[in-house]
Amino acid sequence: MSIRFPLLLGAFILIAGLGLSMMLADYHLRLLNLAVISAIAVIGLNFAFGYAGLISLGHAAFVGAGAYGVALLTTLLAWSPWLALPAAVAGTALLAMLIGVPLLRLKGHYLALATLGFNVCFSIVAANWIEVTGGTNGISRIPELQIAGHALGNERSYLWFALVVLAASATVAALIHASRHGRAMIAVRDDETASSMTGIDVPRAKLAAFLLSSVYAAVAGGLFACHMRFISPEDFNYAHSIAYLAMLVVGGEGSIVGAILGALFVTFLPEWLRFLGSAYLAFFGLFVLAILIFLPSGLAGIRRPASFSRDGRIKTLALVGASREARQ
Amino acid sequence: MSLLQATEVAKRYGGLAALSDVDLSVGEGEFVAVIGPNGAGKSTLLNVLTGLVLPDGGRVLLDGWDMTRAATHKRVRGGLGRTFQHGRPFARLSVLENVMTGAAIQSGRSELDLRERAMAVLDQMGLAADAQAPIESLSYGHRRMVEMCRALACEPRVLLLDEPAAGLNSAEVDQLVDRLTELRGKHRIAIVLIEHNMGMVMRLAERIMVLNFGCKIAEGTPSEIQSDPAVLSAYLGEGYRHAGV
Ligand SMILES: Nc1ncnc2c1ncn2[C@@H]1O[C@H](COP(=O)(O)OP(=O)(O)O)[C@@H](O)[C@H]1O
Ligand SMILES: [Mg+2]
Repeated sequence: MSIRFPLLLGAFILIAGLGLSMMLADYHLRLLNLAVISAIAVIGLNFAFGYAGLISLGHAAFVGAGAYGVALLTTLLAWSPWLALPAAVAGTALLAMLIGVPLLRLKGHYLALATLGFNVCFSIVAANWIEVTGGTNGISRIPELQIAGHALGNERSYLWFALVVLAASATVAALIHASRHGRAMIAVRDDETASSMTGIDVPRAKLAAFLLSSVYAAVAGGLFACHMRFISPEDFNYAHSIAYLAMLVVGGEGSIVGAILGALFVTFLPEWLRFLGSAYLAFFGLFVLAILIFLPSGLAGIRRPASFSRDGRIKTLALVGASREARQ
Repeated sequence: MSLLQATEVAKRYGGLAALSDVDLSVGEGEFVAVIGPNGAGKSTLLNVLTGLVLPDGGRVLLDGWDMTRAATHKRVRGGLGRTFQHGRPFARLSVLENVMTGAAIQSGRSELDLRERAMAVLDQMGLAADAQAPIESLSYGHRRMVEMCRALACEPRVLLLDEPAAGLNSAEVDQLVDRLTELRGKHRIAIVLIEHNMGMVMRLAERIMVLNFGCKIAEGTPSEIQSDPAVLSAYLGEGYRHAGV
């Protein structure tokens, strides 16, 4: 494993994405941009949920924090987006720290409910703090990203940029996965008591996973704001948090490749199934259930040997917010 | 001065006294066994020593450091290792990764260093061939050995073993006895062994402590314990002396 897999993964994302960007038409490029941005957020969620087992239903709020950070800094303070992006990410990490220290004392479905509450709070603030956020009208006229004087004005050039960020995000995530920090997070989800008995500082490992997930979310949010150039509170309500979780579970939790596959799949599925009309949501619910039952390690699990596939019931429970304790 | 010292440790669960004023002292490199019937409080004693359960009274010192209320991971970093009664390896990590988690006890070690240290421990305990295997492919006995390797990778000065032979077949038990003997000989690790297999206890222990209903009822060398009337009636049974195990 070591450093080879992370680098190969990054290279593969770039090559596959570049190929797709040449083949697709504008409308599908737009969807692909959204899928790539979601993939970054879902790779982040994988740290919290896939590795450390923290059921977070507030991920969209961190995406929103990154997006609003960029939007406010660029429109109100006229910062360059290149400065606003890292500042918004740092601000979101700080927010995650303030939220995480008290909330991560909760476990299982209590944590799920608390993070859901956090997401609802975020939406309420974003919709009602009109002087700053513009309320439900949102924030428009977010400036374009420019690289060396060239504006990333069309879907294709933006996609190239987003692909580079995704490739870097995935590579870093794979490096963390293969490090002592990744192993500590995974150990914590498997068995907190045995983890502490192995010298792991369990609260710290959880907080690290939560912070990492919020940083990835904020990067995705910043990219989203610069791509859409208009954001409003409903882009970040709790339904999006559930969508991120669905992407991760469909793709295969605990797997970076799975996070990307899940984001792509769940973004494009409504397109492919447009003929279903309003029956789509019912179909999607059944589809996720089917994955949980028949493909417990998600899409990424298809290529893995059977010995790695685990009990799908665990994830069904996790998704509805059941706690680790409830399993034992 | 002893390395690990528990003084008058007490723990109640509701009306039940799981431990009443129990003293335990383990010297550097010493091998102490704790025996007693089921429910006597043996695992609870380990839980108090490792900080998984806070005692209602008493103190626990490790090499002079009062760790009675310290967090578990700090005690482990201070030199305490433990395996669990029912075996708790990390199921989503491979054998090698499990042991590497232990080796990461010291920060600043490179991945390569962690890997080499973990392999050395696996080698020593005879598990090197299974290094890449997922945990679920291992036999119960091997899983428990992985857990012990993980604890050893933390480089403990005192290793607490909670019924390590339970569920092992007799060949595996013999192997375990050899490994434990080796550990003490080579690395001077002090060991506290909770075990029902009296043959194993008598072969390994220098000193035995007997718990019954949360109280220490005897402490002494194996031969003293085997002829102690209180121990015979509470745990070993009158037939034990004559069976001559
Ligand atoms: N968490 C707990 N809550 C309530 N009672 C407990 C708990 N842990 C242990 N006990 C009780 O304490 C007594 C000692 O248990 P334990 O230390 O596990 O015994 P042993 O390991 O000697 O078999 C038992 O009666 C057990 O039921
Ligand atoms: Mg016990």
